[in-house]
Amino acid sequence: MRWRPGPIFIILALATCIPLLDQILPVELQLSEAVRGVFLYAILALGLNVVTGYAGLLNLGIAAFMAIGAYTFGILTCEIYPFQLGFWSALGLTIPIGALAGFILGAPTLGLRGDYLAIVTLGFGEIVQDVLKNLDVVTKGTQGINPLPAPTFGGHEWTADDEYKWYYLLLALLVVTVIAIRNLERSRLGRAWFSIREDEIASRSMGIRVERIKMIAFATAAAIAAMAGGLSASILSSTGEPSNYDFQISILALCIVIVGGIGSIAGVLVGALVMVGLNSIVLVKATAWMAAHGIGSQGNVLLSPNNWKFLIFGLALVLAVRLKPSGLVPPRIERAPQ
Amino acid sequence: MLDLDVFLQQLITGLSNGMIIALIAIGYTMVYGIIELINFAHGDVFMLGAFLALTLVGALGIEAWGPSGQVAGVAVLLVGSALFCGSLNWSLDRCAYRSLRKSSKLSLLVSAIGCSFICMNLGLFWGGVPMEVFAGGNAAAAPKDFPALIPQVNLLGDGFLRITPADLLVWAVTIPLMIGLTIMVKRTRLGRAMRAVAQDPVAASLMGIPVDRVIGATFFIGGALGGFASVVYSLYNNTIGFQMGTRAGMDAFTAAVLGGIGSLPGAVLGGLTIGCVRAMSDQYLELRWTNTIVFCILVLILIFRPNGLLGATRREKV
Amino acid sequence: MTVLRTRGVTVRFGGLVAVENVHFAVEPRQIYAVIGPNGAGKTTLFNAVTGIYAPSEGVVELNGREQVDPLTKLMVLRFVVAFVSIGIGTAIAVNIETLWTATIVDHYTFAQPFPWALAIGEFWSTLWNMPRTDSLIPLVLGGAVGCAAAFVSWWRGRRAPDHIARSGVARTFQNIRLFNELSLVQNVLVGMDHRMRAGFLSALFRLPRFFSERRKFHAEAGQLLEFVGLGSRADNAAGSLPYGLRRRLEIARALAGKPTMILLDEPAAGMNPSEVVDLMALIRRVRDAGTTVVLIEHHMRLVMGVSDRILVLQYGKQIAEGTPAEIRSNPKCVEAYLGSEDHG
Repeated sequence: MRWRPGPIFIILALATCIPLLDQILPVELQLSEAVRGVFLYAILALGLNVVTGYAGLLNLGIAAFMAIGAYTFGILTCEIYPFQLGFWSALGLTIPIGALAGFILGAPTLGLRGDYLAIVTLGFGEIVQDVLKNLDVVTKGTQGINPLPAPTFGGHEWTADDEYKWYYLLLALLVVTVIAIRNLERSRLGRAWFSIREDEIASRSMGIRVERIKMIAFATAAAIAAMAGGLSASILSSTGEPSNYDFQISILALCIVIVGGIGSIAGVLVGALVMVGLNSIVLVKATAWMAAHGIGSQGNVLLSPNNWKFLIFGLALVLAVRLKPSGLVPPRIERAPQ
Repeated sequence: MLDLDVFLQQLITGLSNGMIIALIAIGYTMVYGIIELINFAHGDVFMLGAFLALTLVGALGIEAWGPSGQVAGVAVLLVGSALFCGSLNWSLDRCAYRSLRKSSKLSLLVSAIGCSFICMNLGLFWGGVPMEVFAGGNAAAAPKDFPALIPQVNLLGDGFLRITPADLLVWAVTIPLMIGLTIMVKRTRLGRAMRAVAQDPVAASLMGIPVDRVIGATFFIGGALGGFASVVYSLYNNTIGFQMGTRAGMDAFTAAVLGGIGSLPGAVLGGLTIGCVRAMSDQYLELRWTNTIVFCILVLILIFRPNGLLGATRREKV
Repeated sequence: MTVLRTRGVTVRFGGLVAVENVHFAVEPRQIYAVIGPNGAGKTTLFNAVTGIYAPSEGVVELNGREQVDPLTKLMVLRFVVAFVSIGIGTAIAVNIETLWTATIVDHYTFAQPFPWALAIGEFWSTLWNMPRTDSLIPLVLGGAVGCAAAFVSWWRGRRAPDHIARSGVARTFQNIRLFNELSLVQNVLVGMDHRMRAGFLSALFRLPRFFSERRKFHAEAGQLLEFVGLGSRADNAAGSLPYGLRRRLEIARALAGKPTMILLDEPAAGMNPSEVVDLMALIRRVRDAGTTVVLIEHHMRLVMGVSDRILVLQYGKQIAEGTPAEIRSNPKCVEAYLGSEDHG
């Protein structure tokens, strides 16, 4: 069979050129810094896509697993705790710990009807924030854990100036995630996920162990989200406060999956570009521009672009489901699991 | 160790809050019973009802109506919020859910979440309306004070228990509503149609029941109950905010599941239980862990009694 | 050995008795038909056999073993493990602040290396020495809840359809339930899933095992599609198949798990006469390949043509059982099935 570059490959190949663009263009766009956020959320949304896109289970608490990853990373690396692991080993540990958290939440709840799961995960998202806030002996409460180390390569640690290194590290991790998920998608496991999404009773009657297969999807998603959390903590050099991982983040990830194309990796990448582009590029730049021109500095709520976030997310979901239910880049049937 | 008066006091608070939760829970349970959708936007419809009530208080100057006038004012608020929330919930069904009846459950849920976010954002904008009751609209996102139209005095004099007119208001509004609703579902034509659609929409439509209109009516009634609840909540707790819908929604949904989703008495039982658990946890455990405890209860019910205390088993047709 | 035997199976839904006191036995390599008027409880009987409904009374035996898993020692051990692990987990979680302070905060200073052994010892001694109300109550409560949850999940799963399917009972559905968005091959491969051994890691890292297994099962799925006459459409989406062919795909999917017995729920519904003839041939071929066939059917020519034995149900009750010739001459069956035709 002749190899044709698929849309995923093209998107990722284009992404390698962005830092170059930053240097060529005369204006100070700082594209690569913004695109970093796209990569991070793409990783998170790829995780959500496993559970929501493939297995058809609505998970509204993906941000909680991101928080668990971030705090795990923080506790394992920060100098105020005795563990003090390096970047790579701590990031590696976020994955099994995220999976374990997914298992603990999933074990009692995955036997339920799908819509109950949505509310349980939503509640979990809120509770994890509460717990992190309340356990301030362990988590430093609302201060967040900082400072956190950056990655080290060949013995020296990166500094904030290593803009492009960060960019390519995130891109590389995104590529690894894409490959891993594609391998799972095109295997017996992916097929079982698809079959459960389509007809749970029929799958069960064919001998698919539904609870176990759902659990693997749930734990995989949690593990990927936790890794994204660890990465984001490392980029910011702080876990931030617990409310940084609130419902908004989960919904942003859901928007990426729904708008981009549910169950499609290329769709998630495009969705991440569109939604994160809107959220942390257009809105942020608009706010900066308005501040520079003295519009809406205070007072009127309508004049602060940030206040439109919920509306944009909400409309994106409602309109996407209504007008383009399979998303911008729908999954291709003949490319379904091999 | 366990002071009886403290316990009873918490019980009263818990039951009053529980009745409010139950009223919201009925909105979830009715909609879920009829189209198997968790209407995520319901909590935010409730929140917008509270904002409307506060706006009415400011616009009509109800605070200055004098003691008996204020009672009339509360009646105005109740009717206004109920109509508003009912219509809002009905329009959500009309615009965002109706066209998705035939698509997957996942799309319907996603659409409901989208609506919830849109409503939440409207609440944020509403908080920025330059009115005196919204503190001039300067801090749109900040919680708003809701004037205590119903005085918070103790009706029992200096007795060791405290029952305020606000408690009485909660009971005076919620109990008749629940009785009325039960009679409506059991006795009226609309109620019968609702039960028929819940059982089997296709068969119901073949029997000449206008299914979409019945579902619309269910949304309206559920929303209206949320509207009543919003006014009672605001008068009882005296503070509202644009994010209160999510929290109230979580509690109410837990109550609906605890009682058995689709069952009206179940929603009331669940609401009262959650209200009391919250009050007791605030008093005897720690305030900051109350939400976590309620969540653990939700998970435990779902493991051991997924159909709730009073719910019936649902069978999937094979 | 008898492939399927029911002893007094009764299924009730609330007050309605859908199946009442049914006894029958299917021997290996038989074609066994269940017939009866609409609403006689045939599909409910199938659902009780495949574990989708639990019989209210009576026993279903598959290959000589009871359909319900007995409570083994291993399971009891699992409940004990659940009690201990969840109990200790709860006790630690509830007291995490105290424990963290005692072990980490009290011993850690920036300057010195952290005394790990001391801290771990401190952890257990703190847990041991704390007030019993703080440690023992969460331990017992959490453990009891965990143990009960493990029991409930075992109780619900002990008759699960997936479990029964894995023990060699496959089925088709009256209202066809294919995976419409998957291709034909994929549908068949889902049926083969429980015979596959390559797990999560071999898929994730594409280990050699993954490739060898994929090759093997893809080839087998192709052969199976040829067997039911769908070989040329292997890569189409199942949803694009015409109605008559969907039933064939369902049969292929059911056969994919190499079952000892296959239950067909109205396989000829909606088929034209020539398709029915093809189907009869297919059912015989399935039997000749060694699989026992149990089918529900209204199409009398098919039933009388292929069956070795027939069970007749009416209003949930068993009214006759025997060879096609016996059934044909049984007046009760003729009346139940053909109504008053004979009486004018």
